Amino acid sequence: MKRFMSVLLGLVMVLSMGGTVLADDGVEINFWSMWNEGEPQATVIAEAAEAFEQETGVHVNIEWKGRDINTLLTASLDSGDAIDIFEDDYNRIGQVYTEWTYDLTEMAEAAGYEGYACFNDQSAAWAGYLNSITEQPQVGGVFYNKAAFEEAGIEAEPATWTEFLDVCAKLKEAGIAPLAQDGAYTNFSFYYHLVRYLGEDGIAALRDNGGWADNEQAVQAAQDIIDLVNAGYLADGAPDEYPASQTKVGLGEAAMVVCANYVTAEVNAAVGEEVNWGLFNYPSVEGGAEPTAAYAGANSLAIASYSEHPQEAFDFIMYLVTGEWDQKMADTASQIPADPSNTAPASLNGTIETLKAADKPMTWCGSLNTHPAWTDMKTLFTELFEGKYEDGAAFCAAMDALY
Amino acid sequence: MKKNKTLICLFVAPTVLCLLLMYVYPVLRTAVMSFFQVEDLTADLGDWRFNGVDNYIKIFHNTGFITSLRNFLMIWIVGGVITLALALLMAVILTSGIRFQGFFRAAIYLPNVVSAVALATMWVQYIFNYDYGLLNQLVTILGFEKIRWLGTDAKLWAMIAAYIYGSIGYYMLIYISGIEGIPGDLYEAATIDGATKKIQFFRITLPLLRGIIKTTITFWTINAATFYLWSKLFSPVQTEGSTIVPVVYLYDTVFGGKGVVTRDAGAGAAVGVVLTLIIIAVYLVTERLLRSSDLEY
Repeated sequence: MKRFMSVLLGLVMVLSMGGTVLADDGVEINFWSMWNEGEPQATVIAEAAEAFEQETGVHVNIEWKGRDINTLLTASLDSGDAIDIFEDDYNRIGQVYTEWTYDLTEMAEAAGYEGYACFNDQSAAWAGYLNSITEQPQVGGVFYNKAAFEEAGIEAEPATWTEFLDVCAKLKEAGIAPLAQDGAYTNFSFYYHLVRYLGEDGIAALRDNGGWADNEQAVQAAQDIIDLVNAGYLADGAPDEYPASQTKVGLGEAAMVVCANYVTAEVNAAVGEEVNWGLFNYPSVEGGAEPTAAYAGANSLAIASYSEHPQEAFDFIMYLVTGEWDQKMADTASQIPADPSNTAPASLNGTIETLKAADKPMTWCGSLNTHPAWTDMKTLFTELFEGKYEDGAAFCAAMDALY
Repeated sequence: MKKNKTLICLFVAPTVLCLLLMYVYPVLRTAVMSFFQVEDLTADLGDWRFNGVDNYIKIFHNTGFITSLRNFLMIWIVGGVITLALALLMAVILTSGIRFQGFFRAAIYLPNVVSAVALATMWVQYIFNYDYGLLNQLVTILGFEKIRWLGTDAKLWAMIAAYIYGSIGYYMLIYISGIEGIPGDLYEAATIDGATKKIQFFRITLPLLRGIIKTTITFWTINAATFYLWSKLFSPVQTEGSTIVPVVYLYDTVFGGKGVVTRDAGAGAAVGVVLTLIIIAVYLVTERLLRSSDLEY
């Protein structure tokens, strides 16, 4: 028995050594992904890794870490875990992980990589160098169901708040709820509206010093929303529980929703068919400080500063975010291509142009979300859409009370 | 058998070492960290900067934390009273010899077998849904206007109601085991002496369940203090004031939230310490108020 066991253990040792020898034949890189196995994005990444290995001999080990990858990365990078490429929100890569990110500037130049200037510039501004490559760009705005617009006889997309209200009136007249609004995104919607009046810098000043009720533009911004609610332009039940209200756009019960582009894929999946989507920038307001800024964000890829194979890792990133595989990612996951020369899915028409034109992306609620009262501010924003405030002044007084 | 101290130590050592490494060390580290300015959870000790009680001042000046504590209190007190009272009531009924008690026990315990994710999804999407949810269907049939069950005013209560539904069975089983441990002779003697069921409950069952009640209060306190999953499921996109609880606040503070990249492990540690102190305080108070019965049976 002992002899049998020793032979068996010896065999296991030899086999494991053989495995190591085989792995050492080619370069291996480790990729920590923010997706879960089986998700459309994960499927494309896995297929791309296989194709990349066949072409280059470089094997990509992928670990699917899911959306909570941000809870693991700092500790893992700090302890030097075997990570060559990692994937996360470009905000975090640019502001949290900079200590462990590789300077991609030279490799990007050598590869002729361009991507979207707004993300590259922001990455460089945060980290001091290009520390991430955009993989899944996002853009915000007003997404609408073209069929609903056609049914209501609307031919032109609104550019100003007055035009937007006209569109709402026509939609309501046609029996379609103009605007879907889920409670989870009331902060995003109202922040967008505030940006139009005050710009992100103006909001930052209010955030720091208070004085919302004394600021005419803040009061007017809140009043606009109250008027919108009182006019009955919100979908029945809005602000509803995510994703109930946004799904109504896909069902044809509501026409528009203020969100980032992933709303199109979510709604398409919820209703089981491809909705004919349109997108226009959030309307400007009269006398507003910031008439055109659009929200832009991205999931991006970065290389660990201690990677032993940065060039191979970069080559795989390029393989994934440009050309054929990027197009496949855009088509499979219904998202904006990372390569501006590729084509966006029909439901995201216009998004590439919007991102290319964006010089400074608007952030997700900017400086407000680091305020000590941010949680309660979000509640107030939802209450604003629930119609709980008599006028803009009452809302702004409630905001001041949080200071 | 002759005691061999070396051997005893050797056998005990692995367990003691594991306990020290996996429990005592993290607890002590968290307690110490709460007095330091630390950005990353895994930052080296050299990067920690002592800042006294600033982390505690910071969290108690953050309205998000205060709101989370208020929500925790509602879950703990209102949810606790309803859950434990209903669980006890059902335990008493199901040990009184009613028919089909096996079926009822299984049916009431069933929500504990179902995943909390599935359970919360059912409540959010199918019971509280504004357009076609069960509750609004009933409201409409009764001729009233639909109610926004998951609006800012009602969402906390909706979440507590769903959580109670998912918790009663667990506490009911604990009470049932306690009641079944009480000798039947006591009830027989009481019945012969003319005691009604009500008197038997208040004079026999409740006093003899004192230890069990203390245990369930401690369990409920721990569950309420570490409440996390249900809050996340009722606010799946980002943290909301109506459902925020201390652990969610802690998570957001340590790891950042949607659109938030700032992190503060020191403040997160302070939240953890405050929660621990709450649990200890509740344990000590219940220990004092509900002394275990000195009756032997």
